Amino acid sequence: MSTPAAAGPALETSGLSKSYPTGMLHRGRRSALEELTLSVPRGEVFGYLGPNGAGKTTTLKLLLGLLRADRGSARVLGVPHTDRAWRYRAGYLPENPYLYDYLTPQEYLDYAGRLFGMPASERQERSRQVLQRVGLLESARVPMRRFSKGMLQRAGLAQALLNDPELVFLDEPMSGLDPIGRHMIKEVILDLRSRGRTVFFSTHILSDAESLCDRVGLLRAGRLVTIGRLDEILRIDVSHLEVLVSGVDAGVLDRRPGLKGRRALGERWSLEVEEKSLGPVVMAVQQAGGRILSVQPVRESLEDYFVRQMGAQAGGRPWEAA
Amino acid sequence: MGSGLNRILAVAANTYRETVRERVLYNLVLFAVLMTVSGLLMKQLSIRQDERIIKDLGLAAMEMFGTLIAVFMGVGLVSKEIERRSLYPLLAKPLDRSEFILGRFAGLGFTLLVNVAVMTAGLYLTLAATHAVFDPNLLKAVYTMFLGLLLVVALALLFSALSSSMLAAVGTVILVVAGHFSDIIRNVKQVAPSTPDWLSQGFYYVLPNFRNFDLKSRVVHFDPVPGSDLGWITLYAAAYLAVVLGIALTVFRSRDLV
Repeated sequence: MSTPAAAGPALETSGLSKSYPTGMLHRGRRSALEELTLSVPRGEVFGYLGPNGAGKTTTLKLLLGLLRADRGSARVLGVPHTDRAWRYRAGYLPENPYLYDYLTPQEYLDYAGRLFGMPASERQERSRQVLQRVGLLESARVPMRRFSKGMLQRAGLAQALLNDPELVFLDEPMSGLDPIGRHMIKEVILDLRSRGRTVFFSTHILSDAESLCDRVGLLRAGRLVTIGRLDEILRIDVSHLEVLVSGVDAGVLDRRPGLKGRRALGERWSLEVEEKSLGPVVMAVQQAGGRILSVQPVRESLEDYFVRQMGAQAGGRPWEAA
Repeated sequence: MGSGLNRILAVAANTYRETVRERVLYNLVLFAVLMTVSGLLMKQLSIRQDERIIKDLGLAAMEMFGTLIAVFMGVGLVSKEIERRSLYPLLAKPLDRSEFILGRFAGLGFTLLVNVAVMTAGLYLTLAATHAVFDPNLLKAVYTMFLGLLLVVALALLFSALSSSMLAAVGTVILVVAGHFSDIIRNVKQVAPSTPDWLSQGFYYVLPNFRNFDLKSRVVHFDPVPGSDLGWITLYAAAYLAVVLGIALTVFRSRDLV
């Protein structure tokens, strides 16, 4: 298969919009995606984040031609998204994939390979490679109706990688997977990046995005709220210190300046302390006969940022969907 | 890069495999039992009489089993794929929606061809067991029956591309039943005089006339079936199939797969 071309982004959209009819007579419209404009350079792992119903799957369906856009345009691998030519060079893993359960993974991959126009020998070889990559080689001849959810996800990933794609769309690839399955998918994504492939994956599991993505886009109620590199988006300053103490009555610490919060952990207390107030708080704990067990600086996580952004947009209802 | 024809054949081959794995061809066992039982019972009757009854029974069973498969597999050809979302990873590949529709049609058509061919062989074997003379005319009735079954598949596919499996089943059954009784629709004025001519005539010509494909009584009673009749029936089927599949393609190409 081809190698990624150097020029031009892997994916770019301009004003992409989609609404769905509502009501029995389809007289109303509900906006699912509004004026989506973004660009994903080649070789990047891009995380497309948002709560359920934010428009992530709608975006993927628009790009893949499963839905027709109301307005706007998109280009994938240098050609208009409506042109089928790019599909030879891309892969797609849908959310909770249903792959014909009367087939074995080997048969399904052979079928998929025929749709790509691969000759029989190449279909056989590539099927073996991708099944090995996702850890399903030993189950290659088992009908998929006997598969667990995790095994189906692996089979879905195998078909998405069959044509050694330059660009891979993954829709919630980690959902429902056990830790080993999640680890395998992360390894596949990192391997794709190391080979210069582009990965566009949607997720609402923020820790996955934080550990894998070069850049993220945050979607809420069909609108792109933020897009950028993680180190640009997240506050790198320490937001507060987490001080773990024992042997002290936390009531003693109440109304202490710089103490932002506290929560009981059995016999111990976890205190949220402003960085500049660490000294006075430590002294107060010691004077009350307590012990300092640990002091951890806390930086903003993607989840903190996500909740902050979504909460600000929704007026305190961070998970409100479209 | 693969050609469109190869992709259509890939979809067709997978559709055929689906019907085999879903045990659709098990109906052949029922047919075999029916033919064996009727062959044994008919030995009691006179020679020409038993031959006619076996032919009649065999052809009617072929049509019934074929129609059931065409309707109930046909209505799921597209709608089930959308409901299960199994279509999404396929359409993300270089597979055009029209290629998918044509492949599904060809796949189920091939299943019916296998079904009809095996049943025809079974019918001839039963006739041979009752010492009947080989009658090639039987093949003419089988051929036109197969064309009718293809039309049922196309109608089921059209409804399937438009709506859910349940609605598609209802719509297809209504059209198939109405198509078998199109003469009654044409003469509805005799029982309901207020029906406007344009309405009854319009329905008569728009609905598929499945009676055109029914040569059972002619071949069973040894009436001749000239080649020109077969030609006209083929032409009718081809025209109707082209229109129905054309509408199905147009509808499905513009449909949002939500």
